[in-house]
Amino acid sequence: MTAERVRELFDAARSDAGFFQAALHVEQVAALAYAAAAEGPLSGRERAQALRFAGHERRHAAAFETMLFALTVPVRERADGDDLDALLPGLRRAGRREALRQLAELEGAAIEGHQLMGRRLAALDSLRTVAAVMAGGAQHLVVLRDALGRTPLTHAYETGH
Amino acid sequence: MSLSRRRFLGVAAGVLLAGCGRDAAREQPPADAEVLAGLLRRELDTGAAVAGVGGAASIARQDRLHAERLAELSGSGTVAPRSGAGADLAEALELKQQGVFAYVAALPRLADPDRRVLAMQIAASEAEHLAALRLAAGDEPVPDAFAGFTEAPAR
Repeated sequence: MTAERVRELFDAARSDAGFFQAALHVEQVAALAYAAAAEGPLSGRERAQALRFAGHERRHAAAFETMLFALTVPVRERADGDDLDALLPGLRRAGRREALRQLAELEGAAIEGHQLMGRRLAALDSLRTVAAVMAGGAQHLVVLRDALGRTPLTHAYETGH
Repeated sequence: MSLSRRRFLGVAAGVLLAGCGRDAAREQPPADAEVLAGLLRRELDTGAAVAGVGGAASIARQDRLHAERLAELSGSGTVAPRSGAGADLAEALELKQQGVFAYVAALPRLADPDRRVLAMQIAASEAEHLAALRLAAGDEPVPDAFAGFTEAPAR
């Protein structure tokens, strides 16, 4: 469900600014999601890691805000709890494993969206920032797969699926 | 200011130039095959280093897949795996980090959208390799939000 909703956000973009707005929203929700997971389902080392990753997601969001600024597009809205519930329903009440699964699904969906940007963005230079964010998300995915006991931890061609 | 910090700011500056419609680097772009051949050479070096690291067989197999695909698309023919004797984890991590930088830097130079997506898929894979190798070594797997672009510790 999460992946489908993220896919719809990126698919709806019709311009570079539209893609960056979609990417910004997903990173803002990801920051909220890691923070919520740290407050609820996760504990100990995993809680600490989730808080660190929430910080990473906030930095990713700031990078996309910078891209929108370069396109002279103002950012007026920020994702909130309702957006979190819409994209990851039930995360706050989830158990540890379900929370980790939802976070992994969100990271994978973001990677898929970033690669769609790789195909469709007109301003190719901006892809380097998109890819740096994507690579950071891919590293989060390794940690989440490890926590979930999934193998392999890495894929030869990471599509986010 | 650190080299990695300058690298990230350089990326942002490039974006601003693109937003103004100026990009001199694209006036005489290299062919996609040429860009991919450069990535192949780096991939072979990195693959050789990883092959010498104990417990990294799965990652070494994925590196071979990268090299074979890059060789096919760049018209470089078959590729022979290089020996990884003497390589250590620190060297493998450093080469992997440089590999992530190279794939990301190559993106604006690839004209074909399918090849750009492939380069992004491999860049993500290389970033994952870094995290997995650090995890196996007991180190912090994700020390930087941008996979080494703002802080680039090899370990």
